[in-house]
Amino acid sequence: MRKFRFLLLASLITATLFSQDNNFMVYSFKGNVTVVENKVESKPKVGKMLSSVSSVKIPAGAVLTLICNQNAMFTIKKAGNYALNEFKDSCVVSAGSLSANYARYVWEQMTSHGEGAPGTNRKMYMNTVGAVSRSVNNIWIDPRLDTINYASGNFPLTWKSYSDANEFDFFLYDNASATNPIFKTTTKAMQIPITSILKYMKQGNTYYWTSAVKGENNDEIKVINYTSKDAYDNVLDQLKAAGPAYEGEAEQAFRIAFGLEDARYYSEAYQYYQKAANLKPDVWLYRSTMMSFKKDYDIR
Amino acid sequence: MKQRIYQFTEEISRIRLGLTTTRKQTGQVYPQLLNRLQKVGDSFLNIEFANHCYLSYMRKPLHKHIAHHVRNAHRRITKYLYERDTIFATLWVFIFILMVKVLPLPNMHFFDPIEIALEDFDFNDITYSKLKKTVGDSLDQHIVIINIGEFDREGLAMLINATSSMGAKVIGLDATLEGAKDPYKDSLMRDAIERNKNLVLASRFHPGEGKEESVFTPNYFSTPETKNGYVNFLSKEWATVRIWNPFIKNEEHPDSQPYQSFATTLIQQYDPAAFETLKKRKHSTEIINYSRRTNQYLVIDGEDLLQGKVDPGIIKGRIALLGYINTNPEDIEDKKYTPFNEEFAGKSIPDMNGIVIHANIISMALDGTYINKLPLWATILFAVVIGWLHMSFFIHYYLENHIWFHLVAKIAQLISAILFVYVGMELFSRFRIKLDMTLTLVVIVLAVDIIYFYEAFAVWIHKKFGYTTVFHHKHH
Repeated sequence: MRKFRFLLLASLITATLFSQDNNFMVYSFKGNVTVVENKVESKPKVGKMLSSVSSVKIPAGAVLTLICNQNAMFTIKKAGNYALNEFKDSCVVSAGSLSANYARYVWEQMTSHGEGAPGTNRKMYMNTVGAVSRSVNNIWIDPRLDTINYASGNFPLTWKSYSDANEFDFFLYDNASATNPIFKTTTKAMQIPITSILKYMKQGNTYYWTSAVKGENNDEIKVINYTSKDAYDNVLDQLKAAGPAYEGEAEQAFRIAFGLEDARYYSEAYQYYQKAANLKPDVWLYRSTMMSFKKDYDIR
Repeated sequence: MKQRIYQFTEEISRIRLGLTTTRKQTGQVYPQLLNRLQKVGDSFLNIEFANHCYLSYMRKPLHKHIAHHVRNAHRRITKYLYERDTIFATLWVFIFILMVKVLPLPNMHFFDPIEIALEDFDFNDITYSKLKKTVGDSLDQHIVIINIGEFDREGLAMLINATSSMGAKVIGLDATLEGAKDPYKDSLMRDAIERNKNLVLASRFHPGEGKEESVFTPNYFSTPETKNGYVNFLSKEWATVRIWNPFIKNEEHPDSQPYQSFATTLIQQYDPAAFETLKKRKHSTEIINYSRRTNQYLVIDGEDLLQGKVDPGIIKGRIALLGYINTNPEDIEDKKYTPFNEEFAGKSIPDMNGIVIHANIISMALDGTYINKLPLWATILFAVVIGWLHMSFFIHYYLENHIWFHLVAKIAQLISAILFVYVGMELFSRFRIKLDMTLTLVVIVLAVDIIYFYEAFAVWIHKKFGYTTVFHHKHH
């Protein structure tokens, strides 16, 4: 009878321990991670507490780091839908006692035979950085194209290559950390007109692009802000209003072009440089500036 | 069984043979062999007797075997414990250490690689770097760290306002803002500081050298109304940050309030009771009880906070520490050496951002988990007792089993080192008591060499003054 009682008590304690709900806290995330709680899908927030009945959706390229019961941290990198009760094992943290760790450490040190010599353990000794890295990327994109604001017109997205490659891949993303492009094409020219990718973009959104030698990757990501017409008009109005009281049309076009270029509206700036040069073809400054602009941005 | 009895009789025969050989060779009875033979008695050929001895040995319970060996060990340690020579030899160890410390000897260690490598060494660091102390401890519930990344003053002002709007009880900005920069951005910063009375700014304290006066450099945005605290730790740039000065006396106006460290001011604002406890301890320096690594604090990216990706509930009512965090080991900006460093001795790279060290200090004060260092007299007393016991043990082997002396001494030193380092780490880790074991270990190491010196010394004063010593008839 006593044994039976003991067994019953032990079973109860075990059941209580195992039935304890784990709680998870969002520690950090990247990408379009979503959380499903009570069948309601929402964006997570850092510090948000999730119960074990919640689930998370991790798209490709996204990362979610959770902390279970305030002390066990784990990261989900693989795309998929996960119920949080699947991570029960990740809630267990076993650091071991100080005495056991010390005994293990002393034993390991006493039984280790050193790291060997350079001749016998090359992996250990040939593991230094060696020199600074300049990467093996054979593509160079003008830093002025780091961020482009675009509203209308045409403008080429250009790059240069130091390799003998004939073909290049162009990638367009809707997310800086995305791994799957929304548009990909292969070209022999080292540029692609912005108008050719407009159908993949929506005004008011930000997109990311890069190019690489065909079959290779390039981590250097550039930004295109496809601004709304209103946003562009606002910039344009400010530039117009900033001019002097008496200003000719060509002078104004040239000044606006300069301002737009400074604001990284390159396509629009080109249109105003052209306008200034056409209005006063005899002014060498307007023509030469337009020519050098074309040369700088490889406008053909 | 019969096999065992046969082996036993064989052994007795060997003893007899040994006695005979020794007699023939030296003409003297070898005392140990004779002793063993006497125990066996004349009936060594009697199988019954052998059987009896063997069976009684087999019948002895384990605890009696252990007790027998413990008694043996006890005898080895205590036989010479109260001998004058043991006490004086132990004393000589301390005299030697004192001489090395006190006498104005030239620094002979400038080329010693061990001395140089171990200059910044503490045994307790092993508990953090190798024994996983703090692994499995929970996130701190009082503190949230917000990574300021590369934010300029405009960005910092926005971040302060955003943190404040989420209900942080106290905000600490771990960035030294020195001098004027862009007027527009500076004005935003000033506005944010004026608006948030719960903000603590970072200042610097430059201790004077010798008679040179120390200088407290407030933040560029500091005013009499703002709250400040010095963020620099008073340790060498390359050394491990183990101690923290909560207060530093104002040398210029000794009667005025002392300067407070960044963490002290934050504790004062967040939990006045914890601040009073800290003040009552009256310690000019506190040993930092590191309890958490960077990932054991909630670290929020400043940009995420501004973009509304953070649950405001996680900041409300807490201490928000705004500082630079980078977990990339190759980025050492604002990183310091801590006991968490994987390399606890020798060359390595800094491992922890300053803001996390401040967070650890605050955690310690709020949890009341201060480390108490045992006074010097306790350290010396411990070293004396341990040194005395070792000396007694070594003298026993030196006089009675000299052939084994060096081997036993080396093994004893190794075991003692392992044991006492463990004792020190347990005291530190479990009871938060810091006992410096270095002196004890030095005493154990020196004890062996001092015996040789003391033997010569004791024999000399025996011849000169008739001093009675256990060494006078021994020559090695």
